[in-house]
Amino acid sequence: MESQALQELVGKIFSDEETKSQFAANPEGVLSKFALTECERRAVLSAETKFGLINSDSLHLSVAGPLDDYWF
Amino acid sequence: MLPDGLGGILQDEVEILLAPLSDNTSFCDLVKETLNKTNPTLIKDTAQYRPWPLLPLLVCDAICGNWEQVLPATAGLELLKAAANVFDDIEDADNTDSVSAKYGISLATNTASVLVVLAEKGFTRLKDSGVNSDTVVTLVDKVNSYYAKACVGQHLDLSLVPEKITQEDAYLKLIGMKSAFAAECACYAGALLAGAHEDLINLFTTFGYNLGMAAQIANDIRGITGLKDINNRKITLPVIFALGQAGQVHELLNSAFLKKDSKLVSSPGQIKDLLVNTGAIKYATIKMEIYKQQAMGVLNELERTGINIEQLRQFLD
Repeated sequence: MESQALQELVGKIFSDEETKSQFAANPEGVLSKFALTECERRAVLSAETKFGLINSDSLHLSVAGPLDDYWF
Repeated sequence: MLPDGLGGILQDEVEILLAPLSDNTSFCDLVKETLNKTNPTLIKDTAQYRPWPLLPLLVCDAICGNWEQVLPATAGLELLKAAANVFDDIEDADNTDSVSAKYGISLATNTASVLVVLAEKGFTRLKDSGVNSDTVVTLVDKVNSYYAKACVGQHLDLSLVPEKITQEDAYLKLIGMKSAFAAECACYAGALLAGAHEDLINLFTTFGYNLGMAAQIANDIRGITGLKDINNRKITLPVIFALGQAGQVHELLNSAFLKKDSKLVSSPGQIKDLLVNTGAIKYATIKMEIYKQQAMGVLNELERTGINIEQLRQFLD
């Protein structure tokens, strides 16, 4: 299901340096400003713990999650 | 109880299904090569290996503590999936390592066809495992329904103009039909053949659906970081997110992914950076986590009913 709030959150973090800094320092505080579902909130925090703020050098993403080629 | 070397046992079952081809070595070798392309890690036992082909066996064992009765169906599903991959490679023509690219469309089509036919033999062999005929018919009917749905998804993917799949909901529905169905189908087979009641079967198929969605989104991420989907100008979840951004980013990506006849104005590496810097990859990892959490939620629910979920949890680690 598409989530406008989640799209807005990620868009804001990656387009606004102040929000990005706030998110890095206090993710929960930034999340509280967006109408995320509990599942989305937990997923954001889980992704942040596992991968951090992703940049072009985040090649460790190649091992992110169930990445096997099996189904594709 | 699951024995060590279960992958090898499944491989032996696949060999039994291939027996009708044994008179023609070259054809049999081509079919085996096709199966190896689909799953070269069938009997690999490494820490990172997630035993996808064994999913029906693991589900069945989790429910009833036995797995033997689902072995022929698991082999059948393995052959069906290999056939689907060959057809997909023919239709997409985007894989230089495919059977169709290597041997031509005629041989590839014939190989996929025989895999479908032999898969059916896997399902009829269930009777030898003590599964009653009604259950076999129910399974075949459901598997056919899953694959029919996958064909609908593939049709939409092949026939829709790109603009039609730049909405996230439409895209998620599409990958649910043509990708997530396989894990869902595998879980259904395992649960049905374990003798599970309808509610339990539904829980397992929900687990399979969410697992399949997470795996497809992970594949989308890798398609961008590895540049393959950028080179093929394939619209996937990260691209859809970034296309939703305003301004110059939108224009650049619109040109790269929606105007396929035009020359790329940016290099694939630059487009990857653009997608990363707009948060598109981050967004996709969060969506992947959502599906993984939903799958984990189902496993927790199953655990509360007394089902041992340890073997299934490894798909979400």
